[in-house]
Amino acid sequence: MTWLTPWLGGVAAAVAVPLLVLLYFLKLRRRDVEVSSTFLWKKAVEDLQANAPFQRLRRNILLVLQLLAVAAVCIALAQPSIKAVTVTGTRHVILIDRSASMSAMDEKDARGGAVSRLDAAKQRALGIVGALRDGGLLSGRASGDEAMVITFDSQAEVRQAFTSDTAVLRAAIEGITPGESVTRIEEAIRLARAHQPRRIVEDNAIEGLTAGTPLTIHVISDGRIADAAEAKPGPDDTLEFHRVGLTDGVNVGIVNLRASREYDNPSRLTVYVSLINSGGQERPVDVELLIDGTSARLKLTKVPPATERESTTPGVMLREVGRAGVVFQVDLASGAAIEVRLREPGTPLPPAEDVLAIDDRAFLVVPPAKRLAVLTVSRVQDSWLDVALSGLPLSRLVKVDPARFEQWAREGRLGEFDVIVLEGWVPPPTAAGVPGELPAGSYLVFGGIPGGLGLRDAGESGLASVLDWKRDHPVMRPLLLDRLRVLESRRAEIEPGSGALVVAMTSEGPAVIEASSPGTHAIVVPFAIDKSTWAVDPSFVVFVAASVQYLGEDVGVGATIRDMQPGMVITDRLPSGAENVEVLRPGARRAPMQVGADGRFSFGPLPAVGVYEVSWRGPAGPTDRTSAGGAARLYAVNLADEHESDISAADNIATASKDAVANERASTRTDRRLWPWLLALVLGVVMLEWFIYNRKVAI
Amino acid sequence: MLPTASPKRPQSLEDLIDARLVSRLGPLDIASRKVFFGKLKGERRSKKRGESVEFADHRAYVMGDDLRHIDWNIFARLDNLFMKLFLEEEDLSLHLVIDASASADCGSPSKFEFMQRAAMSLGYVGLVNLNRVAVTVMGEGEGGIAGTIRDLRGRRRTRDLARFICGLAPGGGFSFDEAAERIAVSRRGKGVMMIFSDFFFKEGYERGLRMLVGRGYDVFVVQVLSPQEIEPDITGDLRLKDVEDGDTAEVTITAPLLKRYRATLGAYTGALQKFCTARDMNYVSVRSDTPVDALIFDHLRARGVVR
Repeated sequence: MTWLTPWLGGVAAAVAVPLLVLLYFLKLRRRDVEVSSTFLWKKAVEDLQANAPFQRLRRNILLVLQLLAVAAVCIALAQPSIKAVTVTGTRHVILIDRSASMSAMDEKDARGGAVSRLDAAKQRALGIVGALRDGGLLSGRASGDEAMVITFDSQAEVRQAFTSDTAVLRAAIEGITPGESVTRIEEAIRLARAHQPRRIVEDNAIEGLTAGTPLTIHVISDGRIADAAEAKPGPDDTLEFHRVGLTDGVNVGIVNLRASREYDNPSRLTVYVSLINSGGQERPVDVELLIDGTSARLKLTKVPPATERESTTPGVMLREVGRAGVVFQVDLASGAAIEVRLREPGTPLPPAEDVLAIDDRAFLVVPPAKRLAVLTVSRVQDSWLDVALSGLPLSRLVKVDPARFEQWAREGRLGEFDVIVLEGWVPPPTAAGVPGELPAGSYLVFGGIPGGLGLRDAGESGLASVLDWKRDHPVMRPLLLDRLRVLESRRAEIEPGSGALVVAMTSEGPAVIEASSPGTHAIVVPFAIDKSTWAVDPSFVVFVAASVQYLGEDVGVGATIRDMQPGMVITDRLPSGAENVEVLRPGARRAPMQVGADGRFSFGPLPAVGVYEVSWRGPAGPTDRTSAGGAARLYAVNLADEHESDISAADNIATASKDAVANERASTRTDRRLWPWLLALVLGVVMLEWFIYNRKVAI
Repeated sequence: MLPTASPKRPQSLEDLIDARLVSRLGPLDIASRKVFFGKLKGERRSKKRGESVEFADHRAYVMGDDLRHIDWNIFARLDNLFMKLFLEEEDLSLHLVIDASASADCGSPSKFEFMQRAAMSLGYVGLVNLNRVAVTVMGEGEGGIAGTIRDLRGRRRTRDLARFICGLAPGGGFSFDEAAERIAVSRRGKGVMMIFSDFFFKEGYERGLRMLVGRGYDVFVVQVLSPQEIEPDITGDLRLKDVEDGDTAEVTITAPLLKRYRATLGAYTGALQKFCTARDMNYVSVRSDTPVDALIFDHLRARGVVR
């Protein structure tokens, strides 16, 4: 117990207690009554004292009670406080992690049964709600603590705005369901701060600056938060990390699934599976490959245990999960939905002791094996580009002029081509001056800036050389652009928020840009080939080949398409004429979906892992499955996140502004002031004294 | 318990006993549980010699004995002279002792007034039956005796007795031991002694009663208590003042204390009764609000004091 103002209580006691005793002896004016004899009374009093061990006390019970009341007041003035299980602050934000790793079953309930981390997190949250202080006399405040509940995985959701109604808060917490996506806390913290009531800091030198009431942010999570460093709690906010889950949880999971086709033999499909093991023991697992739901391959592999190594900072150990890879090779010319499952060796069961089931399965959609069909749109005969394209192993190479291209676009014939190369021509602006947009498809554009991709034509630019380029971009990886000189170019400007990526930069602006819009994917080179030195450089041929290959991956040359994570939104474009569009989610029934007039649609955020199927009546795209009168497009949704699969709970959360160390208890111990209770005691004592006084007087 | 506020003292015989009570008292007589022996014919002159005819015993003749009491039948048979012994009844002496201390003048109705009425009623019975009646008043005075009237006999002395009793004024304190000693020394004859008091004597009643008992008197102890002494009706923080000696006791009267007081009073009266019973004294406890005729016809007649 600590005393905040002990001297005040001491002074009050030194004054009040002697005064009370003095007053007690002064105040009692007895009434004189003549009696026939006093000796019986004296004898009765003596008997009473002899028979009552605390008679002396009883005789002065009123004095004792008054002294007790004064003592309670004096102690209250000294403001004692004790360490009590409670929560600090008045506004609490309870952030509950519902990401995939929170589904790990490594927590125990009261009866010792295994429960998920999310269930344990909900119990912690209920504990925090239970520790909120009510408003009223004994809390010393007019209103009680307020709390809001936010749940987050890849996205944050306010389950309950600030309220002091604990029943509402409990209902909001109880209603949280597990998610299957990755953990992103930054949005949740921003959401919490957005709900923070504003107050004006009047004495601040900066006029108009406002700050919110400080929040106490309770993060209930396993601490596997990839973007913790991007979260920015307010400077006055308190961050508390309530950890759930074990630090040595056992999980073997698939963190990556890729496939590729051999360049010279596209029907040969190679599937790469990356596994991790977060446990401390080597884990043997069966890795099973299923093609369209049928088991095709089974491989036993051993995933090494997680290890620790010393970091460059002395005394700090870095943890490394164990990794293993499995490669399957199958002959598969057609498109297929591929599933990879982990099994306990020799059994059809999931891996034993594995606490997280979501990452024991992964999905992949592979398009049919095919060679690309390329359409070139150009007014130039026998260009350098034709030379470059002619050496590629294409199924079809067609060259048309712009008028024919526009005609085919109107006739819907562009779907026959996987990649369209525009040389020195882009769709002209409309009558209203809006830049012409490209029809759906994959484009390699030279000497122009098409509209609709977030790019703007800012006029001519002069001689320029390449300053820098992204050497890790698939298109640029094999290139050296040091000797490239651009004599004349269109100056491209990228509109903010468009998502366009500058792949190569010259002194006069972007030289290679990757841009996309729903249904359209383009690599734009704003200068004409013959206005540069590139045509005579070997890197040009390599660039054209890499670009056609890269753009073709969208439509079939690659083997991994439409690979997504839970929480993402599918934004895609169906062939024109698609009708009766329906979506089939894993474990759900087909549901109709609204599609725009141009075939664009959005679906999401994707709630769970699995294969999603969008089916429609009408023409099919090059990679779509076809059936009688209809078509279907598959989307593979995988967790594929090492942060989530490595389920060992973290010891702390390091945000951009604050660190929080794991707190195993449901709530924190802070000073709880006792003086309101002492005042209640005074009230009780005074009432007791009144009762006793009445009982003494009224017989 | 409290001193009687402005008491209305009896002024005459009629104030003490009304005509109805007089008519009821007429047939009564004072009785003694004891038969007083010892005054043989010829041994000592007696006023009532020869009036007794009740045979008691024989003894051998000695010189000087009254020849008239020789049992000649025995002499004829045994040829020895034996004297016939007879029981001799003396006239009964009724000695009424009244406590006239200040404490007796407490209660409502006043204990002293009750004692006055009771003493007058019993004195009247005694006078009517030609018993010798004496009244001694214990109170402020020499040796604890505030006044005495004695040797009253016959109905015509009723007014004298009433005048004496009406003239009594309670007040002050006295020593019961001294008063009892004085009464024991000064009394004459044998008979019935009735002591009216509350027996709230701080020095105790034991020594005084011991002096009064065993001297030829059949002692009746009548303890008179006021209703307020039996069931006190005072509460709160009080300074109790003794009306006799001014002694004070500061008490906070609570329910437990009252319970304890009643227990103490019960124990005190019980001890007095036990003391009296052990010494062949008769003990009667009455409340001052008891009618005098109830005292006489219920309590005293049941105990054989009157018949």
